[in-house]
Amino acid sequence: MSGALVWVLVAAGLGVIGVRRRSLAVALVTAQGLLLAVSAVNHDAVAAAVLAIRAVALATLLLLVVSRTREPRPVRSGVAPFARGGLAIAFALALTWLVPTVGLASRNAERGVLALVAFGIATVATRHATLFHVLGIVLVENGLALAALELPGGGSSTAIELGVAVDLTLIALVASVFHERIFAEFGAGDSRALGSLRD
Amino acid sequence: MTSREVLALAAIAAPAVTALAAGLAPRRAVQGIALAGGFVSAAAAGALSAVALVSPQHPHVGPWLVIDAAAGLLVGVVGFVGLASVLVSPSYLATVSESLVRPAWRARVYYALLFVFWTVLVAVPLVGNLGGAWLLVEGTTAASALLVGFNGRPRALEAGWKYLILTSLGLGVALLGIVLLAAASPGGGLDALSWRALARVHPGHGTTLVAFLLLLAGLAAKIGWAPVHNWLPDAHSEAPAPVSALLSAALLPAVLLVAWRASQALGPAIGGTAARSVLLGFGLLSLAVAVPFLWQALPWKRLLAYSSLEHMGVIAIGIGFGTPLALAGVAIHIAGHALAKALGFYAAVPLLGHEPSAAVHSVGGIGHTEPALGAVMGVSLGALAGLPPSPLFASEVLIVAGGFAAGRPWTAALAALLLALGFLGLAQALIDTTAGESPAHERAGAPGLRRVSLLAGVIVACLLALAAAALWLPGSALAHALARGIT
Repeated sequence: MSGALVWVLVAAGLGVIGVRRRSLAVALVTAQGLLLAVSAVNHDAVAAAVLAIRAVALATLLLLVVSRTREPRPVRSGVAPFARGGLAIAFALALTWLVPTVGLASRNAERGVLALVAFGIATVATRHATLFHVLGIVLVENGLALAALELPGGGSSTAIELGVAVDLTLIALVASVFHERIFAEFGAGDSRALGSLRD
Repeated sequence: MTSREVLALAAIAAPAVTALAAGLAPRRAVQGIALAGGFVSAAAAGALSAVALVSPQHPHVGPWLVIDAAAGLLVGVVGFVGLASVLVSPSYLATVSESLVRPAWRARVYYALLFVFWTVLVAVPLVGNLGGAWLLVEGTTAASALLVGFNGRPRALEAGWKYLILTSLGLGVALLGIVLLAAASPGGGLDALSWRALARVHPGHGTTLVAFLLLLAGLAAKIGWAPVHNWLPDAHSEAPAPVSALLSAALLPAVLLVAWRASQALGPAIGGTAARSVLLGFGLLSLAVAVPFLWQALPWKRLLAYSSLEHMGVIAIGIGFGTPLALAGVAIHIAGHALAKALGFYAAVPLLGHEPSAAVHSVGGIGHTEPALGAVMGVSLGALAGLPPSPLFASEVLIVAGGFAAGRPWTAALAALLLALGFLGLAQALIDTTAGESPAHERAGAPGLRRVSLLAGVIVACLLALAAAALWLPGSALAHALARGIT
C-alpha cells in the first residue's frame, strides 16, 4: 500500500474526531473501509470483498440508526474540536514512539495502524455522542484491517478481515439496539446521561 | 474422531441447539425447552470435564481444539453455573416488569441469548488457536451485552453500554497484539496462532513482547483486571442475577484462561519471568483496588462485583507464581469462586423481592427478617471471604505458599496482606448482612427462595468436597499437568 493512501486513511480518522455531524463521521469511516478494500484488490481479492461488504453493511446500519434517532442539535463534546484533534495526535505520536518496529510491510503502514488505533480510543474518550463511541471502535478495527493487509506474506489477512468483519457487524448491531433504547429513554444519544452508576 | 472430540462437540452443540429451539418454539414451550436443554448441556459439559480432569496427563491438543485439564475445569464450571442459572431464571423472569423486548418475546429472547452465551463460553476454553479465542471472546460480548441491559431501565442501559464499548475497545487492542504476533510468527497464516505454534516463536524478538503486552492489556479489559475494570461493577450489578452469575463465575475465568495460555505459550519467547511479572502486576493491582471497596457498605450485587475483581486478582497472582503448588490453588480457586459467587448472585433474586432497596443500598439483618435467605447470603459471603472451611481459604494458602516456593517472598507477602485486608472487609459485610440491624418496615416475600435454598444445599456440598480436594491436589498429576500447560 502506498504511503499516500495510508495518510489519507489517517486523515479520515482525524476527521472523525473533529466533525460534529454523525452522518459525516459515518461517511468518513465508510470511505476508509472502501479505500482499504480497493488497496487489497490486487493481492487478496477475498479480503477486498470482505472489506467492501463490511464497509457498506456498516454504513447502511449506522445511517439507518442516524435517521431513526434524529437529534434536534448535535450532542456537544466536552472538548473543543481542535483540542480533541491535538490530544488524538499527541496520543498517536506517543504510541508510535513507544511501540518499536513491529514487522509490517512498511514503517508508514505501522504508523498508520497505530494512529488509527489511537484516534479510535481518543474518539471514545472525548466524544459524548453514543454513536461516536461505535465509530471509535470502527476506527480501531479499520486500523487492524490495515495491519492485516500489511502483514509480510499476507497469509492470514483474509481470515483476520473476515473475523473482524463478523465481530464488528455483531457489535454494531448490538450497539444500535442500545443506542436506540438510550435515545428513547433520555431523548438523546448522549453518554452524559449514563452517569448514575458511581461508587 | 476421538471420544473426547465427540464430547467437546456435544458440549458446544447442546446449548447451541437449545438456543435455536428456544428462539423458534411456541411461547408456552420455551421454558420447558430451556430446562431440558440446560440439563442436556450440563451433562455434556460435565462428561467432558470429567474425562479431561481424570486423565490430565493425556491432553488432546490440535490446531483448533484443546481438551486439557484447564479446559476441563472451565467447561465443568460453565456447565454447572449454566444449569444453575437456567434453574433460577424462571424466578427472575417472574419478577421482571419491563425489558428491552416486548413482554410476549421476553422469555424467548432471554433464553435464546442465555444459551448462545453458554455456547460461546464453553467454546472459549476449548479453542486451540489464539485468533479463534479472540473471536469467541468478542462473541461473548455480543451475546451477553443485551442480557446485561435486558431489563431496559436506565441503569441497566448504562451498564450494558459501558460493558459493550469498553470491552470491545479493549479487545481491539488485544487484536492488535494478535496481528503483531502473526507478523512475528514463522510461516505466518492463521495456523501460526495455534497455542503450540506460538510456543515456537523465536525468542529475543522485541515485537513479541509488545504483542504480548497489548494482548494482555486488551484481555484485562474483558477479565476486569484493574485498572481497566470500570465496566465490571456496573455490569455485574445491573444484569439479571442468573446472568451476573455466568459473567462472574464463568466468563471472567474463561477469558483469564486465554491470558494464561498466551503467557505459557509465549513465555519461552519473551522470557518466563517477564510474562509472569505482567500477570503478578495485574493481580496485585486488582487486589489493591478491590480492597477499599470491600470495606464499604455497598449494594449486595455491587459488593459481589468488587469481590470478583479481588478474586480475578488472586487467580492472576497464582498463575503468575506458576508453581504446581500455586496452580493447584488456582484450580481450587476458580471452582470455589464460581460456586460461591454464583450462589451470591442467585440469592439476589429473592433478596430484591424481599428488600427492593438492596438494588441501590447495602442491606442489613437479613438473618432476622428472612433467616433462610440470610443463611444463603452468609454461606456465599463466608466462602468468598475465605472463612474456613471454605475452599477459598485453602486455595489462597496454596497460592501464597506457591509464591514462596517460586522464590518471590515479597510478592507473596504483599498478596497475603491484601488478602487479609479483603477478608476483614468481607467479614464485616457478612456480619452486617446477616446479623446486623435491619430497618423496621414492611417487607414482601422472597420470590424463588425455595429454589435458591435447594441450590445452596448442593453448592455447600460441592464447596466442602472442593475443600477436601484441596488437601489432595498439591503434588497430583492434575497440578503438574496445569503447570506443564499444552506446549
